[in-house]
Amino acid sequence: MARTLTFKIFRYNPTKDNDEPHVETFELEETPRLNIFTALHLIREKQAPDLMYDFVCRAGICGSCAMMINGRPTLACRTLTSDLDDTIELLPLPFFKLLGDLSVDTGVWFHDMAKRVESWVHTDKEFDPTAEEERMDNATANKIYESERCIECGCCVAACATAQVNPDFLGAAGLNRIGRFLFDPRDKRGDQEWFELVSTDMGVFGCIGMMACDDVCPKDLPLLEVFSYIRRKMNAGVKIAVPDLEM
Amino acid sequence: MTGIDTELYPKAESRHSQKSSAFKNARRALRDERISGFTGAFLALFIWGHLLAESSIIFGRETYDVVANFMEHTIPLAQPVVFLVSIAFFVHFIWASRKIPGKLRERKRMMELGKTLKASRKTWQQDPASDIKLRKHFETSLWIWQVRTGMIVLATGSFHLILITWNLFSDMGYAGQPPGFTADLTVSRMSSGLWILYATLMASVVAHMAIGVYRLLVKWLADTWFVRNYAKAFFYLLFGFYIVLGTITILAGTGVWGGIVL
Repeated sequence: MARTLTFKIFRYNPTKDNDEPHVETFELEETPRLNIFTALHLIREKQAPDLMYDFVCRAGICGSCAMMINGRPTLACRTLTSDLDDTIELLPLPFFKLLGDLSVDTGVWFHDMAKRVESWVHTDKEFDPTAEEERMDNATANKIYESERCIECGCCVAACATAQVNPDFLGAAGLNRIGRFLFDPRDKRGDQEWFELVSTDMGVFGCIGMMACDDVCPKDLPLLEVFSYIRRKMNAGVKIAVPDLEM
Repeated sequence: MTGIDTELYPKAESRHSQKSSAFKNARRALRDERISGFTGAFLALFIWGHLLAESSIIFGRETYDVVANFMEHTIPLAQPVVFLVSIAFFVHFIWASRKIPGKLRERKRMMELGKTLKASRKTWQQDPASDIKLRKHFETSLWIWQVRTGMIVLATGSFHLILITWNLFSDMGYAGQPPGFTADLTVSRMSSGLWILYATLMASVVAHMAIGVYRLLVKWLADTWFVRNYAKAFFYLLFGFYIVLGTITILAGTGVWGGIVL
């Protein structure tokens, strides 16, 4: 006997006049292996054609469909309704700008974060397309890979109590990004540069250590491990003399 | 290096000097983190020893007196430690409280999020075979409890510290009493009603200490062999052990329970 699921979905269109934020209830017959992403498609198709939510890949790779599912920020496409109770509550991610209903703008924040952490390999080496690729040992490559698996869904920032009260905090995604470039031997940023960027209340020392990012990350990134590494690196960093910053 | 101008970080040019405001800010943030961390770790170590020493009352008043005498006279440890702990106590309060949001609205937002995340496990029966790993989360609420217990410790602990300092430096051999701390003094204090204060302080300090140690370990050692799960297990162990020890110490100290006669 298939369950009838009750979806309580947050509705609000900021572009519409006189629209008030409210919760709308929808009912849907559960089918085998139904996930929230498909359920939203079905609701939009049959019941609410104006329902707004983000999606692209339906495979946990694009990071678009993050939302609060039963009070927990996670990806709609990777949440099976069979894991949840009959009543499913869907809210947009907090912290980010609401575009409408379940759709939030994570892009602007992530773009800003990338600019702030200067999310590219800093090097003065001229790129030679004919030369052999530079070698990197496997452990380093793995570490970089682990940090780069981030899909920028924004769940970690939405779950972060520090980010809720300190909007300039770089958040788990930002610190993870910093870790990615700290691990990278090709990045020639000096210790002091890193120190000034990371050792602040917007950076790693703004983190109180509530660990929600680690618990909700849908990609299971080693966030706490990266933060510990950064912390200890910064703890040692203050003694380091001014590096040569001619770049 | 191009001079990327962001709102929060000064331009790249200013990074050349250790006199730059960016460097000074970074150094200050590190110093603040070190101060709150080190004083916290020191106070936690002190509490481990302190509660163990106090628990000697379980083995009778004589044992307690032997321990007290040893700490105060054989190795005069108690007096300097009271000084150090008092300083660390207030320094820790000032530096650690910088993380508490100032506005009520912000604190409410934090609490709301903590509650939401904690409650979500009730409607989340995740299949163990699922490839998406979402762990149960209560650490955000745990932090809020750390703030609460910290405030209780600040109030009750201040009283305790002042009383102890007064005792250590004024009651030493005063009015025919034996110098320093004795089991008689402790028991009379406890059974005169002060046990309520000490029980509150003990429970709060143990919770605050265990949560703080958990956080400190995760913050600094999560990428070593001492991973988060070990830190969490250690948290439960610390909390359980010291709550039980503290409770039976208070029961023995008030005379409700006779203790173990050796």
